[in-house]
Amino acid sequence: MSSPKAARLQKVFPVDLEKFLPERVLKNYGKWVERRFHGSGIIEHISETGDRIFTVKVGMPPNARVSADTLDRLADVADELGIGAMRVTMAGNLEILTDSLDKAFKIKEAVEKMGFPVGGWGGSLWGINSCTAFLTCTTAVVDSPSITKALGDALAPYFKEQSLPAKLRIFVSGCPAMCAGGTAIDIAIVGQWGAPPRIREDVIGMCLPPPRALAKVQEGQIFLVQVCPTGALTLRREGDKVRLVLVGEKCINCARCKENCDAFDYEPENVGVAILVGGKMSNTGGGARLARVLVPWLPATPPRYEEVVAVVKHIIEVWRQHANPGERMADFIDRIGWTKFLELVGLKEMHEYYQKTPEFARTFLTFRGRGEIYRRLRDVL
Amino acid sequence: MSAPRDLPPADVLLKRAEEMLSELEKGPWPSHVTELRKTRYPLYVYGVGLVARKSPWGPAAVKVEYLNTGVLSRWARDWVPGGGGEVHFRVFHTPGKFLKTDFVRKITKISRELGVGLIELVGQTGALVLNLTPETAEQMVDALREIGTDVGGSGDAIRALNACVGPALCEFALYDTLRWYAEFYKDKRVNDNIVTPSYPYKFKIKFSGCPMDCGRANRADLGFIGVWEGAPEVDQELLRKKVEVGEVDPEKLAADCPSGAITWDKEKKELKIDGTRCRKSMHCIRTAFPAVKPGKNKKIAVVVGGGSKGRFGPKLGWLIGYLSPDQVKDAIDLVFKVIGPWENEAQPKYRLGDYILHVGLDKFIEKAGIKLEGMPTSTAKNPDEVPYAVLPKEVRERFLQFAEQLKGRV
Repeated sequence: MSSPKAARLQKVFPVDLEKFLPERVLKNYGKWVERRFHGSGIIEHISETGDRIFTVKVGMPPNARVSADTLDRLADVADELGIGAMRVTMAGNLEILTDSLDKAFKIKEAVEKMGFPVGGWGGSLWGINSCTAFLTCTTAVVDSPSITKALGDALAPYFKEQSLPAKLRIFVSGCPAMCAGGTAIDIAIVGQWGAPPRIREDVIGMCLPPPRALAKVQEGQIFLVQVCPTGALTLRREGDKVRLVLVGEKCINCARCKENCDAFDYEPENVGVAILVGGKMSNTGGGARLARVLVPWLPATPPRYEEVVAVVKHIIEVWRQHANPGERMADFIDRIGWTKFLELVGLKEMHEYYQKTPEFARTFLTFRGRGEIYRRLRDVL
Repeated sequence: MSAPRDLPPADVLLKRAEEMLSELEKGPWPSHVTELRKTRYPLYVYGVGLVARKSPWGPAAVKVEYLNTGVLSRWARDWVPGGGGEVHFRVFHTPGKFLKTDFVRKITKISRELGVGLIELVGQTGALVLNLTPETAEQMVDALREIGTDVGGSGDAIRALNACVGPALCEFALYDTLRWYAEFYKDKRVNDNIVTPSYPYKFKIKFSGCPMDCGRANRADLGFIGVWEGAPEVDQELLRKKVEVGEVDPEKLAADCPSGAITWDKEKKELKIDGTRCRKSMHCIRTAFPAVKPGKNKKIAVVVGGGSKGRFGPKLGWLIGYLSPDQVKDAIDLVFKVIGPWENEAQPKYRLGDYILHVGLDKFIEKAGIKLEGMPTSTAKNPDEVPYAVLPKEVRERFLQFAEQLKGRV
């Protein structure tokens, strides 16, 4: 008989709708017919049974990090003024559920008193997704929660009021692994190495076969060599010794080596963020697409990240002033064209220069046409 | 990561870390630092990382018996004064991410008593993340299992599933995403592959009820997105009412359709939608619901190969066909058909999409033995622009035949 702990091999999945869904939701499951908006952040869901649920959307701190105490206080609000239930959204917002508009406004008042903004619906900033970065991650090169905080402070009015042409979402990731949700979003901010990483000779042995084996094994069977998409990581024979080296001229700073082995290091002064624009996930407008690089590198200086905040505010302002109502960043850029967009932002000449550099061409050629050869959902619908 | 150059002595470093942290508590946006201060999370380590501009965490190895995924642990790097550790569990979120307050209180109780009082409400795969201490890890797993959830979803395994809220709170849901979510979890094979990491890389499965894709299925390795066939359904009577009271401007509705599929007949006061041109952008439905509704013939589009990490960079999924809303069992079988060739042949750290780019989508579908309704007969979209490739003999012969039959005719 094995350990009683072996029972853990059958997971307890939270799948029982009866248990986890609020009663009022269960009663109206699949019966929703309409929704109405009552100012920013308050949404009325109307069921065919005549029941209503009002959700109040509350912005959470960066990386959706809350203390148990705060969460309990939010639960108190949901008990006193709501139907004893909340909902978390993928944007990291918290929706508190209630049954009347009057109570919804009271919830809004109560959470705003606690310091949390209400909003994030319609033509506004829907939230900023952030990866964990320096809070727990070993590979992040910039700290996305603090970038998110700096951006949130600057953009808070856009969350609370509907003063933008359409929905805006921002993802902030600490490294090219893009754990905050990738680049299929209006504005994506991604941590960059800036320069090829350095191998830490003292610890790289942990990620390689023992030296004797290394001398015999074929290069293509070394895990780190397999992981590198450009062949920048390669074995070099020096006398009777074999070493792993990084050929800087081939590196595209994709950070895959760092994701798989801790022995890669960087100089903080090279590190920065790239800003990408015009991606989206939804099939609305012109359909889902990945964002494009607008600014390949900017310094990321904690705690206020003035440079990043300035550029993001500028991008939003260009979009706000030139987009038609209801036009998301991606559809706006689609309509006016990328070149015109660059002109409006004031980066046209910069881009002409930047695209001619061999380092840029290297990344482009490595991933050329990587996704465009097969049909996407939008192409077939 | 090694110590950054010119790191100040410990006392100065900690002082500057504290300054940095208090700066992050200012401003109108809710602050994570303010929240972290209310917990037993080692905040100075984070502060030191900000000053050093390097992640202060290195990998550690906290093991929990019979728990192979979902536990992540870190040690502070040797240059962080005072050291410290950080361990967290990835916990399966509730269906639709609904949190009844009694459940919230159970979670906060566990977090306070067995953890450090810190909760990440939602991770980017849709997990609930709880910080803890290594000593309480064993107890915490059992406590979580007792309240009806569990720990898992990291490493090269099937990750926590993600579904949009679906019919629980949304009128647009075209299939029951939460029921699919539940059925997938109940399957023994899915359970076993969440428990034990054995794939080349992570594998994510996501469900979205409609083409607006709130579940981010288009970015999953395997995504299920609700769609319909043809044109949306129009209730002309109800629409006319909406037009009369000024809720809907039919001319604008027609003009704004991204597919250009809508025309408004002024005379008859009828909205016509050309089903062959409709690209399911949901514009008319969102504007005039319930007068304009999705079509009756509902289907689930299956997309494969999305993801943001991977050998060939970020990708969105490719469509491989359709299922019907009642084919949940077939969908679960499909998971393992899709995984089959990838698991056997892909290089380490290749996402499914990377593997597909390697072997070709058609070849992959053939190898996986996938048969779905509405499969594209040829998946290729663009001709290649590079004039060299390895060409099998039969390909060359076909082009030769093409030229042969032209001889003498032109």
